[in-house]
Amino acid sequence: MLSSGENTPAPYQQLCEEVIRAEKIVVKFGENVAVDHVDVNVKRGEIYGFLGPNGAGKTTTIRVLTTLLHPTSGDVTVNGFKIPSENKKIRRMIGFVQQMISLDKDISVKENIICHGYLQKVPKKDIQIRMERISAVLGLTPFLNYTVIKLSGGWKRKTAIACALMHDPKILFLDEPTAGLDTQSRHMLWDMIRQLNSAGTTIFLTTHYIEEAENLCDRVAILNKGKRVALGSPKELCDKIGRFAVEYDGDNHVRKYRYFSDWDDAKKFVATFGDSDSVLLRRTTLEDVFLEMTGREVTTDFVKVVRI
Amino acid sequence: MILSFFDETFRVSLQDLYYLKRNILSILVTILVTPLLYYVSFCYGLGSNVNDMEGVSYIAFVIPGVVALSTLTSCFSSIANKVLAQRIYYTSFDEIILCPISPSAVIFGKALVGLIKGMLGCAILLIIGLIMTDGLHISLLLIASIALSCMVYSLLGVLVGFLSNSLTTVIMFTSVIIAPMTFLCGTVFTVSSLPVGLQYAVSALPLTYSTECIRASALGWSFPVLSLVVVAVFGVAFFLICYYMLSRGKI
Ligand SMILES: Nc1ncnc2c1ncn2[C@@H]1O[C@H](COP(=O)(O)OP(=O)(O)OP(=O)(O)O)[C@@H](O)[C@H]1O
Ligand SMILES: [Mg+2]
Repeated sequence: MLSSGENTPAPYQQLCEEVIRAEKIVVKFGENVAVDHVDVNVKRGEIYGFLGPNGAGKTTTIRVLTTLLHPTSGDVTVNGFKIPSENKKIRRMIGFVQQMISLDKDISVKENIICHGYLQKVPKKDIQIRMERISAVLGLTPFLNYTVIKLSGGWKRKTAIACALMHDPKILFLDEPTAGLDTQSRHMLWDMIRQLNSAGTTIFLTTHYIEEAENLCDRVAILNKGKRVALGSPKELCDKIGRFAVEYDGDNHVRKYRYFSDWDDAKKFVATFGDSDSVLLRRTTLEDVFLEMTGREVTTDFVKVVRI
Repeated sequence: MILSFFDETFRVSLQDLYYLKRNILSILVTILVTPLLYYVSFCYGLGSNVNDMEGVSYIAFVIPGVVALSTLTSCFSSIANKVLAQRIYYTSFDEIILCPISPSAVIFGKALVGLIKGMLGCAILLIIGLIMTDGLHISLLLIASIALSCMVYSLLGVLVGFLSNSLTTVIMFTSVIIAPMTFLCGTVFTVSSLPVGLQYAVSALPLTYSTECIRASALGWSFPVLSLVVVAVFGVAFFLICYYMLSRGKI
């Protein structure tokens, strides 16, 4: 084992613009195609967002990129290293906060964080001090001696985030990091993500909060039923479907939407409604793009269904 | 290379060591209750009606057998359950896979706690045994046989933890394979007193060979080196399957 050679990056990696490059990943679970020829290319130092409805294949894709799951087919390189032959080198430089909180529930918060330090081979002398500093900034200090099972959901997530930060990863994967966090913590986490990013960490993030992706991400990819249906900066995507949105009431209180690239066209369309109609003209948001790309749920007559 | 392997093994087992430290008393009680019950029921209950076996008193015959079966019971189920829980229910096993640590260190790291627990349990059982009868000899060979058995059954625990996808599977494996093994593999009576068909079946099980080694070394009989090799071969096989699964991402 040439342990000294492992840490010196080859010149190619330093130049490599794309830290994550995945081509045509396919993941099948039996007959079910969870990920269907998805390409991922994440540039060094960007915040890359992954959006998609439940079951779209976000978690499965992340598990492939983090070496946890072998894809059925497809080529993946992370920082110039190939999966699966160079997994060990990849694992050194990535951190991953899973959607399902993956802590050992029988031991304390502190022990979990320390174990992570050891597993990630943080120098022994730094482990204690890093543990204290990271848990302090995340507000975990009062809970350090709690067994994980006794923590509330949000604190568990913060513990998982603390664990992932122990070895200061170059690439941080966050699978719905803000799910279940209160508003204060969510804002704190956003600041943390931005700060880490400006200090050079590449961030790969999935979320169901579209405004989170809109605020944070340099580029977002939208996934639907295992396929990538859109890719670009939030602004580019909004421009693509039309920068102006008009929403109005259809039959039986079902909201309808139209998009326009041109302000005047939108105005003209609004003018066709009378004053009494609840028509709204506004800027297109990423949420509109998301719903257009992934399809709105067909809204039925809920009242009829619920009140038999 | 060797040093870094031990270092990595320790890093992997740290979680379980913390747990062990926190719950040492209840863990010891759990692993000791059954063997102690065997001591009482076989040595005092049944043993008073049984003549000498293979030239030693029944008590001296049974105690090494119970020690052998406790290497299996104390190592196997706790490890299998723990690995399964960490894989499926806590998903914390992913975090271990995600670390720059070699698969062999992951496997041995998970098995290490079983080895420690098993050795502690056996030490206590042997001390009690020494009080009960004066026919036992503590030797390096005995300690080596016990350690090897503990390691092999811990590895089996890791393997079953890898193979199962629910608690039901582990429970079934325990009652279908492990429980019969504890009784039939020459632990509390000789294998030769079984029907011939069963003797063949039992000779395919590792505990038979562990019992031979542990009993022979504890009673000062000539040591069955071949049996020790067979136990080791079982261990290597368990390890290799684990290694295959882990390195191919099949867990
Ligand atoms: N271990 C598994 N075995 C079988 N099928 C699986 C497994 N994991 C995921 N799937 C299937 O793969 C598909 C994609 O799941 P995935 O978890 O990647 O979705 P997701 O985009 O992360 O959804 P969510 O927003 O709900 O987290 C689903 O159809 C799911 O049923
Ligand atoms: Mg998911």
